[in-house]
Amino acid sequence: MERMLRLFAWGASVLVPAVLLTLLAFLLWRGVPGWSLALFFGDTPPLDAVLRGAPVFDGLWPACLGTVALVLLATAIAVPLGIASGVYQAEFASPRQRAALSFCVDLLAGIPSILMGLFGFALILLLRKTVAPAANTGLLLSAGCLALLVLPYLISTTRLALESVPHELRLAGACLGLSHGQVVGRILLPAALHGIFGGVILAVGRAAEDTAVILLTGVVANAGAPSSLFGKYEALPFHIYYLAAEYQTPAQLAQAFAAALVLLCITGGLFAVARLLRAHLETRWKTGRSQ
Amino acid sequence: MNSCAIRIEDLSVAFGGRTVIDNLNLEIGQGGPTFLLGRSGSGKTTLLRAINRLNECFPGCVTRGQVSLQLGGDWVDAYAPGTVVETLRRQAGMVFQSPNVLPLSVARNVILPLRTVLNLPADECEARMEQALRDVHLWNEVGDRLAAPAASLSGGQQQRLCLARALALRPEVLLLDEPTASLDFKAARQIEELLVELKTRYTLVVVSHSLSQAHRLAEQVFVLRDGGRVERLEEEVFRDKEALLAVMDELV
Amino acid sequence: MTPAGGAVPTRDGALPRSLLFAAAAVSALAVVAVFAFLLWFSLPVFRGDALASLLSWRWQPLRGQFGILPMLLGSFCLASSALLLAFPLALGVCCFAHGAGPVRAARPLLAAVRFMTSVPTVVYGLVSVFLLVPLIRDAFYGSGFSWLAAALTLSVLVLPTIVLLVDAQFRQVQAEIGPSAAALGFSPVQQLLRLTLPLSRRGLAAALALGFGRAVGDTLIPLMLAGNAARVPHSLLDPLRTLTSHIALVVATDSQDLAYASLFASGLILFVVTAFVHLLLRRWRGQAA
Repeated sequence: MERMLRLFAWGASVLVPAVLLTLLAFLLWRGVPGWSLALFFGDTPPLDAVLRGAPVFDGLWPACLGTVALVLLATAIAVPLGIASGVYQAEFASPRQRAALSFCVDLLAGIPSILMGLFGFALILLLRKTVAPAANTGLLLSAGCLALLVLPYLISTTRLALESVPHELRLAGACLGLSHGQVVGRILLPAALHGIFGGVILAVGRAAEDTAVILLTGVVANAGAPSSLFGKYEALPFHIYYLAAEYQTPAQLAQAFAAALVLLCITGGLFAVARLLRAHLETRWKTGRSQ
Repeated sequence: MNSCAIRIEDLSVAFGGRTVIDNLNLEIGQGGPTFLLGRSGSGKTTLLRAINRLNECFPGCVTRGQVSLQLGGDWVDAYAPGTVVETLRRQAGMVFQSPNVLPLSVARNVILPLRTVLNLPADECEARMEQALRDVHLWNEVGDRLAAPAASLSGGQQQRLCLARALALRPEVLLLDEPTASLDFKAARQIEELLVELKTRYTLVVVSHSLSQAHRLAEQVFVLRDGGRVERLEEEVFRDKEALLAVMDELV
Repeated sequence: MTPAGGAVPTRDGALPRSLLFAAAAVSALAVVAVFAFLLWFSLPVFRGDALASLLSWRWQPLRGQFGILPMLLGSFCLASSALLLAFPLALGVCCFAHGAGPVRAARPLLAAVRFMTSVPTVVYGLVSVFLLVPLIRDAFYGSGFSWLAAALTLSVLVLPTIVLLVDAQFRQVQAEIGPSAAALGFSPVQQLLRLTLPLSRRGLAAALALGFGRAVGDTLIPLMLAGNAARVPHSLLDPLRTLTSHIALVVATDSQDLAYASLFASGLILFVVTAFVHLLLRRWRGQAA
C-alpha cells in the first residue's frame, strides 16, 4: 500500500511537469521562428503603425492593441468596483450584509465565462428590442462582461488583504483617536495595498487571456486597430483561436504559435509579478511581528 | 493622595457572553503612576481598555457601568451617547505591550494622527512631532533619520516612538499596557525614567507584571483578583517588597 | 466595528461609506442580473411544444429539431472523464509534495503547477490541436477531434485548480497533526496514508466539486478539440458537443427563434449546475467552520 502510493505519487509528479515541458517546448519550437517585427506589423513600417496609426493588415499589432484596450477598459470598470466592494465587505458590512455579499461573490466566481458573454449578448438583444434598435456587440460590452468576470477575484483579494493586516494596527489607529473610516482609509488600506495590487494583476491576466466572453460580445477576426467604444475589435486570444481553426497558409499558422507565445509571456509575466508581491506581503508581516 | 482623575463605577465587561470584569469600582488619582497588578487573565488589560473604550474594537464585547474621566477640567462620561469615542481616545492616549508602530516612516508615525485627527497645518505638525520626540528623548537618536521606516528602529526606540505618538496628540491621561514587557533591561529602564518625568504632566495608568517596577514607581496600586474583584494596596504594603510579594503570592 | 464609527462625519482621510456600499450593492446585483437575464430569455422555452422540442435528442435546426440533450450529456461526459484523469493525478502530485517524494522537489513541483494556472486556455487548445489531435488521428482513426482529445486537454487545464486546493487542505491537516504524528513514529508516507488523506476527505470532495465546476464551464477546449458534432458520442474517439461550445456555435451561426431559446436554456442549465456546485462548497465550508 505504501509502496503503491509512493509509486503513484512519483508517476503523477513526473507526468505533470513532463506535460508542461512538452507544451512549452512545442510552443517554443513552433513559435520562436515566427518572432520578428513582421509578426507584429506585417508589411507596414513599425514606426508608422505605432506613431501614426497606419493600418496593419497581416500582423498581430491590431490584436495587441485590441487586447490592451479591452483589458484597460475592463480593469477601469472592475478595479474601483471590486476594491470598494471588498473594503465594504471586510470593514463596514453588517454580518447579514457580509453573508449576502460573500454568497453573491462566490456565485459570481463560479459562473462560467461563456455565461458572462451570453449575458452581454442578451443585453444587446434586449436593447435592440427596446430602446436602441441599432445596438450591437462591441468593445465596451466585452469590457463590461470581462469586468464582471474578474470582479470576484478583486473583491476577495481586497477582503483577504485587509483581513491579513495585523489587528494591532487597527488598535494603534483606534487608540490615536482615528475614526473607523480613517483607520481603514489611512492605515489598513495603505498596509494592504500590496496584496490588493497582486489581485489586480491577476485580474488583468485573467481578462487578457479569456476568450469565451469576447467570443459572444463583439470580437472579430479582421477589424483593424480598435477605433470606437462600440465598434468591433480584434484580440490576441481570439486571434489565436481563429487562426488555429481557419489558417490558410503555413505563415498564418506560424503567426498563431508566435501569438500564443506572446500571450503566454504576458500572462506568465503578470502572474510572476503577482506572486512576488504576495511573497513580499507575507515576509513583511512576518518580520513586523517578530520585532 | 491627589484628587481623583478617573472614576469607574459598577463596570462589567463581557466578551461573547464570557464575563471578564464584574461590577468593578475604582478611583484613580491624578498624576500617579497608578499600577494595576494581577495574574494574567485577571482582566487588567480589559480594565485599561475600558477606559478608552478600546474593547469595542473586539467582536462581541458588552460593557456596562460607568467610566468617568476628568478631561479639560470637566468630567466626561466615557460611555454616554453624546461622547465622541475618537475624541475620548485622543485625550486618553495608550501604549501597548509590544510597540505597534505603523508601517510608515518615523516622522509619519507621529504626523499621520496629527494630520488626520486634528487637521493641523504641516508646520504645526512638524513642531509637535519634534517636541514629542524630544519629550521621549528620541530626537537625539533618530532626528537625522526621520524618513527611515519606523520598523528599522530598535524595540526600545519603537516603544518610545509609540509614546511620542500618543504625547503629540496632547492627551491628559496615558494608559500603558505592560509598556516594558517586550523590552530588554536597558530599554525598560529608559521607559521607567520617562514615566517618572511624565507623571507631573499626565495621569498615568500602568498595567504591569513587574512587582519591582510597581514597588519603585507607583503612587497607587490596585490588585485585580480572579473574578474581577479589585483591591487597593496601602502605600506601606507596596513600598515594602516583602509585603508586596506576600500579597502577590496569595493571588497564585 | 466601532458603533460610533459610522456616526462620525467623514473628515479628511475617511472613506465615504455610502459610496462603498453602492459598489458592494452593484457587485451583488451583478449576479442577480446575470441570473435574471438568463431566466428571462429562456422563458419562451417553457412554453409547451418548445420545451418538448428542446428536451429531445436531435439537433437539426434545418429540419426544425432543437434538442439539447446531446449537449447536456456531452458536457457531463467530458467533465467527468477529464476529472477522472485529473483528480488522481492531482492527488498524486499533492502526495508527492507532502511526504511521498523528496522534500526539496516539492517547491519546484508546486511552482510549476502554479505556473500552469497562468497558461491561457487558448494556448492549451492551440498546442493540443497541432500536437495531440494528430497523435490521436495517427494512433487510431478519424479526424482526431474527439472526446478523448478534449478530455485529455481539459484534465490538464483543471489539474492546477485541484492541486492547489488539495495542497492547501493537506497543509492545514499536517499543521495540525504533523508534530504529534511524527512523535508517534509515523513515517511521512504512513502519515499521509493513515492520517492526512482520511482527515482531508472533505477538502478532497470540495476540490472535486470545484474541479467539476471548472470543467463543465470551460468553453474553448471542447470548442477547439471535441469536434462539435451534436450527437451522443459512442466511444472516446467520437466527437461531441458541450453546452458551452453549443452556446458559442449557435451565437455565431444561427438566428432562428428556437435556436436562441436553446442557447439560453443551455445557459440556464450551466448556471444552475455551477451555482449548485458552489452552494455545495459553501455548505461544506460552513460546516467545517
